[in-house]
Amino acid sequence: MSDVQVLASSASNMQHIRDGIMVVNTETIAGKVITQNLGVVGGSTVRAKHVGKDIGAFFKNIGGGELKAYTELLDESRSEAIARMVADAAARGANAVVNVRFATSGCSHTVPQS
Amino acid sequence: MVDASVICWGPFLLIAALLSVFGILWTIIYPILFLYGAIFSGRNLDKSMNKIMFREKNSIEHFGKDPLSTLKGAHIVGGIRECGLVYSGVVYSPSHWQLMIAWINGLFGGRIDIIHRVISVGRAEATQRLREQAQADGWEEVLNVRIDTAEMTPASNPKGTKAVEVFAYGTGVKYS
Repeated sequence: MSDVQVLASSASNMQHIRDGIMVVNTETIAGKVITQNLGVVGGSTVRAKHVGKDIGAFFKNIGGGELKAYTELLDESRSEAIARMVADAAARGANAVVNVRFATSGCSHTVPQS
Repeated sequence: MVDASVICWGPFLLIAALLSVFGILWTIIYPILFLYGAIFSGRNLDKSMNKIMFREKNSIEHFGKDPLSTLKGAHIVGGIRECGLVYSGVVYSPSHWQLMIAWINGLFGGRIDIIHRVISVGRAEATQRLREQAQADGWEEVLNVRIDTAEMTPASNPKGTKAVEVFAYGTGVKYS
């Protein structure tokens, strides 16, 4: 635990350590031993862009290509979902989250994310 | 009783004017964009693919090999010093022209190459961004890479924006 905390304080802005919690999508963390399983943690969010960006994306869609507004939207959503997952893990006193999986789906008329 | 002359018509007229302007713009812009898609979307796809291949070459030169793998790390002999999540995504859409061609292809069945090309470019872009993200974060290899594709068109609004999101993620590692 202390190793992870030291690592976190020295590189707090790195993507892989959030609030002292290591997040990986492999089943183990190299060099660390899992001593306690605290259960499944998760985080989700539903987001949409404002109608102006939606209209812009609709027009861009006619010509095809990358829809940057939506790329940005999903990036924001994912960061938020991860932050919530990390908060959930922190509330349980965890110091790492392993085997992370993502799922995205659209609902209603907006373009959302989980 | 409300006198008709007292009703304020301003907001109604404003909304009507806005809708008319939108209608006029739509009738002018849609055919132009559709034609643009018909003429340039194929070429734009080729151009993006070429750019991605170039960037991929640069990344592979930087890492000395393709950093992405679906292995779980058992092949790394010296051990791993540090690891963490790395992810990237891209939303890619076919043009309405390509969708029309795909619809015609769909009538006959078989391969729909035109959409396959769009999704291939999206996938190549997402994996290339993952490589660049790994490079920016200083990882030496990315393990357990998964590529997730999500449709951006909600089932409740099938006439809305038609796009796919390709999302790639994995665990970046540094060797000890």
